Amino acid sequence: MQMKYLKPILVTSALIGLSHWSGLSFAQTADQLYKRGLAATCANCHGTDGKGVVDGGMPLINNLTSEQMLAKLKAYKSGALEGTIMPQLAKGYSDEQLTTIANQLGKKQ
Amino acid sequence: MDRRHFIGQSAAAVGLLAGLSSQTKAANLQKAEILVIGGGYGGATAAKYLRLFSNNTARVTLIEPNTSFISCPMSNLVIGGSRTIAEITSPYDTLSKRHGIKIIQDSVSSMDPDKKTVTLASGKTLRYDKAIVSPGISMNFKSVEGLAQANKDGVTLQAWKAGPETVALHKQLAAMREGGTFAISIPEAPYRCPPGPYERACQVANYLQQNNPKGKVLILDANQDVVSKGALFKKVWAEQYAGMIEYRPKSNVIGVDAKTKTLKLEVEDDVKADVLNILPQMAAGEIAIKTGLANSNGRWANVNFLNFESTARKDIHVLGDAIQVAPLMPKSGHMANQHAKVAAAAIVAELNGWEINPAPVLTNTCYSFVNNREVVHVASVHQYNAAEKTFKTVPGSGGLSPAPSILEGIYAWGWAHNIWADSLG
Repeated sequence: MQMKYLKPILVTSALIGLSHWSGLSFAQTADQLYKRGLAATCANCHGTDGKGVVDGGMPLINNLTSEQMLAKLKAYKSGALEGTIMPQLAKGYSDEQLTTIANQLGKKQ
Repeated sequence: MDRRHFIGQSAAAVGLLAGLSSQTKAANLQKAEILVIGGGYGGATAAKYLRLFSNNTARVTLIEPNTSFISCPMSNLVIGGSRTIAEITSPYDTLSKRHGIKIIQDSVSSMDPDKKTVTLASGKTLRYDKAIVSPGISMNFKSVEGLAQANKDGVTLQAWKAGPETVALHKQLAAMREGGTFAISIPEAPYRCPPGPYERACQVANYLQQNNPKGKVLILDANQDVVSKGALFKKVWAEQYAGMIEYRPKSNVIGVDAKTKTLKLEVEDDVKADVLNILPQMAAGEIAIKTGLANSNGRWANVNFLNFESTARKDIHVLGDAIQVAPLMPKSGHMANQHAKVAAAAIVAELNGWEINPAPVLTNTCYSFVNNREVVHVASVHQYNAAEKTFKTVPGSGGLSPAPSILEGIYAWGWAHNIWADSLG
């Protein structure tokens, strides 16, 4: 019985080794991919992964923490914060979507 | 071995099987040959995001005939003379150097969706598991009598695909006689970039104000009214370009006499002008039509909006201006970039054996320069509607600028630099 299950365990170890060797990342789940996709809707204006062109003229967002970003997005959505395009775009996302975006793009502490 | 151990080990075995399954799917992702046809805002972004979303494991080849990317957005500023073509040009090689995308500089002459092959102009044939077709638009020069030859001869230019014609049209404007007329014709919508022709009229007028103040701009619009940002453009024409821009709606150009520089209209009398910028009717890029993807009136490609897969052919995804759009979805570079990200994520999910994201989101932002500094915008957010299988704009969201502003002019250039970096950098 013990021997019977030894083999798959070895295979598992081998596969984990293979995944490291081939550079494959199994950390990503479908949910994480969807979240990355949602955050990518911001990238046209604010740069890939929120890393905008420095001195490019567009406000940079990569200096904000997730909490600061969410507060700003919600303020744009409610109308508390004025702006050009962002108040109009923020109103198109649900609160849950704005939270996801802020968590994805906010500066990691 | 007691029962608890057995269950634990069985669970481990089941987990292992699940693990093996995901390994196999991941291997599918690694093994699949993904061809991206066209390196515009749609194709370049799709190629890059296929790599990003797959954590650099997808095999991606981009086929693009041009050596560098020239942006259609901002190209009106080159015609107006406030920017150069070099400022709106980006290299392709960052996609290979930074992201490991194979780039083939060639054009696609045909596709065989049954055999899943693509034949290049050079004669080489490539196999694909997934193809992304992002060919932009084709110009239907036949929609205006005499236009094909006039354009070939360089007498009338479209400059709607940014490149050599953009520079040539600026030269025609600069060489126009004093007090001459620059006529721009607009086909019936849909066409690429709804506000583009009206922005162009502003840029030409801005140039004339500084260099040829008695010159005129005549807009001959086949549509009932200004298609995009209408009130904003009309106010600018009245206030900033009074007496210089003439706007004629319901004026459909159906013929051109290149020798006499005369335009024939469907209803009204002929019009003579010094520079003729004629935009014919447009359709999906030729390869989409040739491959049978343009199944909406033979003109645009219908797609499944969850993954942008063609409804005509499996495993071919169509992006950007070539598609039959959802309601209020513009044919814009920004939107093509957004299509690309939804398609790339869906392809990565599918090859991983995951469900495709059931709720994708798209945004659009479009800036128009009304002179060389001030800008107006239109913006929108499009959420996928599962019941109607299309994208719908969110009530209360999106909108226009209240008035032209220099601040938005700064943002517009910032947008350009960031979207170029997001698509190609």
